[in-house]
Amino acid sequence: MNRTDVVGEYLREVELRLSGLPLLQRRELLADLETHIATLRAEQGAQSEGELIEILERLGSPEVVAAAAYEEAGPRSAPMPGPMPGPMPAPVPPPTAPAQSAGSGLPWWLIGLVAAAVLLFLVGCVGLMFFAQTSGTDAPPPAPAITRVG
Amino acid sequence: MTDAAQLSTSLRRGTLEFCVLAMVEREDSYGTEIVRRFGAERSLATSEGTVYPLLSRLRRVGWLDSKWSESPAGPPRRYYTLTDSGRAALQHFRTEWVSFRQTVDRLVGTEA
Repeated sequence: MNRTDVVGEYLREVELRLSGLPLLQRRELLADLETHIATLRAEQGAQSEGELIEILERLGSPEVVAAAAYEEAGPRSAPMPGPMPGPMPAPVPPPTAPAQSAGSGLPWWLIGLVAAAVLLFLVGCVGLMFFAQTSGTDAPPPAPAITRVG
Repeated sequence: MTDAAQLSTSLRRGTLEFCVLAMVEREDSYGTEIVRRFGAERSLATSEGTVYPLLSRLRRVGWLDSKWSESPAGPPRRYYTLTDSGRAALQHFRTEWVSFRQTVDRLVGTEA
């Protein structure tokens, strides 16, 4: 019964990653996947383990399928409502799901770096202005005198 | 995720669901059939298993209806039907899509 093992293992791997979903959605997806596999097996007469693996490969890895399930489940099922300055901005937060879909959005360290650079620049500007102003107040007497004379 | 995969994911988001609605517009279709037709479209590059969560959402928002039915071979099939609100949503998308596509074509320089 090696061939059913492949299918059963796949479904278990998917189920493991769906723990953050509402029960009915979890059951629905697993039933849909199971039906899909059984339908193709019946229609194509897929019996060998190789054929089953091909069916599973076309379905996609458990990670990819689970990520899609969370995405389609909407924000209500995302158990992370508040902003969290963590390194992973991905909206796919089940504890068992690997960080497959991370990588979109700017990394936090980059935002920090840019903010620091901007701050430094502003401080520099203020400093320069202050310097210009103080040296400016020293300078006026001769300057207007020259222009008035000229 | 590679840049190319990221791009196709972004492009699919918001459009794929209307492709699903259009697939069952004329005739009810069952899950495996819908999924298989997506799998055959190479430019959509969809992992077939990701279509089921999409079908689930479309059913939950009331754009699709589903019912189980016996099949001549294999397990019972789950048939999907376009509801009235699904039909309206599809019609609305068609109008929006044409003007959206024309604008992008003009801006990106892909006009025919």
